[in-house]
Amino acid sequence: MSKRIVEAYTGEYAGGKSENALNRALALARLGRKVTLVDLDIVEPVYTLRPIQEELKALGVNVIAWKTRETVGLGEAGTTLKPGARWALRHEGDIILDIGYGVEGTRTLNLLEGAGTDPDLQVIAVINTSRPMTAGVGDIIEHVGELGRVDALLNNTHLSDETTAELVQEGARVVTEAARRLGLPVAATAAVAGIAEEIGPVDCMGNPVRVLTRFMQKAFW
Amino acid sequence: MSKKIVEQDKRAFMTGNEVVAWAALAADADIMYGYPITPQNEIMHYWTRLAPKYNKNFLQTEDELSAGFTTIGGVMAGRKSFTATAGPGNTLMQEPMSMAEMMRLPTVVIVQQRGGPSTATVIYSQQEVTMTTIGGNGEGMRIVYSTSSHQELYDYTIKAFNTAWKYRFPTFVLGDGYQAKMREPLTLYDPESRGIELIPSQPFVGAEGVPGKDRPPAHFRNTYSMEEELYEILTDALQVYEKISPEVAEYQSSGIEDAELVIVGHGIVFRAIRAAVEAMREKGMRVGYFRPVTLRPLPVPQIKELMSSNKPILMVESSQGQLTRLFKEAAYGSTSEMHTLFKPGVGITAEEVEAAAREILK
Repeated sequence: MSKRIVEAYTGEYAGGKSENALNRALALARLGRKVTLVDLDIVEPVYTLRPIQEELKALGVNVIAWKTRETVGLGEAGTTLKPGARWALRHEGDIILDIGYGVEGTRTLNLLEGAGTDPDLQVIAVINTSRPMTAGVGDIIEHVGELGRVDALLNNTHLSDETTAELVQEGARVVTEAARRLGLPVAATAAVAGIAEEIGPVDCMGNPVRVLTRFMQKAFW
Repeated sequence: MSKKIVEQDKRAFMTGNEVVAWAALAADADIMYGYPITPQNEIMHYWTRLAPKYNKNFLQTEDELSAGFTTIGGVMAGRKSFTATAGPGNTLMQEPMSMAEMMRLPTVVIVQQRGGPSTATVIYSQQEVTMTTIGGNGEGMRIVYSTSSHQELYDYTIKAFNTAWKYRFPTFVLGDGYQAKMREPLTLYDPESRGIELIPSQPFVGAEGVPGKDRPPAHFRNTYSMEEELYEILTDALQVYEKISPEVAEYQSSGIEDAELVIVGHGIVFRAIRAAVEAMREKGMRVGYFRPVTLRPLPVPQIKELMSSNKPILMVESSQGQLTRLFKEAAYGSTSEMHTLFKPGVGITAEEVEAAAREILK
């Protein structure tokens, strides 16, 4: 088995962090790899992956996330880290971190033991150019600058059910240009099945294409 | 001078809270006053991110009472002002908004309903209908738009500012936690490109000229010494409200003429109703829907007509009948048989609506 994969997904609220993180975890699990998916949302820890935890576990992914019954008294939120998440990087195998939204951006990773020194950690900013806050090259550069450490961008441009291959390709052009100016690579372009096949194994900018299955529609927020 | 928010129509993917922030910018709002409460927080978050880029302002107050009163202050100073709240925050907001009602001030409030009573859940409900339409002490001289999609959140937030400044009654956009947090595409546009003329704001205090000489003195009161004084003011305001109601009221309906059952609901629940009606129509079942877009004032003549048609009605709400109470008042004396599907604080699916409708049609 090739070297361990450690990836943290960050980016705009509703930009597609969780969807891309859990799809990445499932894709790695399908390859027979041992994968741990960690929910690091400290703003709304009760909600993000809660309803689909069991489904993900059944698909072969180890999930570290709060369950509602474990957080009685927190109410809606509460800035809290599940103790297991703190030690997530010590797990064997691949580790996929879903960094929740909030002003701290990737600085949330400071809460994890070993995050500063993990040689394999890659922080990936998920970008949807259909979101006005990250629509243009300048917007993306400004946004990524606010996130803290970012090692790569991921083009997740879509318009829900109205997504076309052309829209995703246009997103790829914008995200790749922003990445070039930031001196960062583009980890991938992500698109749902159907659109992904239409685009092919690489997008118009030569970035690898990942096929997404939408799970987050079943989740909260 | 602030730059144009949206140069040309753009299809965008956002959460409902973000949509409200963008719509307020498009409506040329000047300032938001706010106090955090889920599920409306991102309205504040996005407004505060966008505001510096467009020369707009924001004030975080110490609570919702303060947010409401400072919104009134902003309006009196001639600024297009708004606030956003939910649940127990909306409860506190009733005090300042009844003041705006008394003083006839064009405040705009976005409400993203959450579960109640009290703190309950942060997630969703339609349990703030009574409070938003006729809350506070007073006569409910307000305008309340109940939206059902991100496009409508954009359209009606823009419209709310114009409605408020045109008629000078407190205006509310009534969304909910689902609309606040869910994501779907919508078209952002410049209102003027659609022929929507943004009504300019004007100061209520500190206007130019000498009071009593160049202009009438600005005298805005929420306190009166004698009943007769109050009665005169209220009678006038109520007459104005009654006069404008037919032009303000909005509704949407389909398939009512040949329907054997009409399903009624508002807001996000309307989407489940519409989906259920479409599914049942495809199967050859004669059902229709009626949806009030304004919950205050209600489209009263249309409701009276509907409820006098002798067609059975199914009221569907994520509350224990808050819209139904308003409907009954509007339809007093009519004879339609009324059925209900109430799930306070919980979402309702098209399948549930269809099952309830089939039960009635059996």
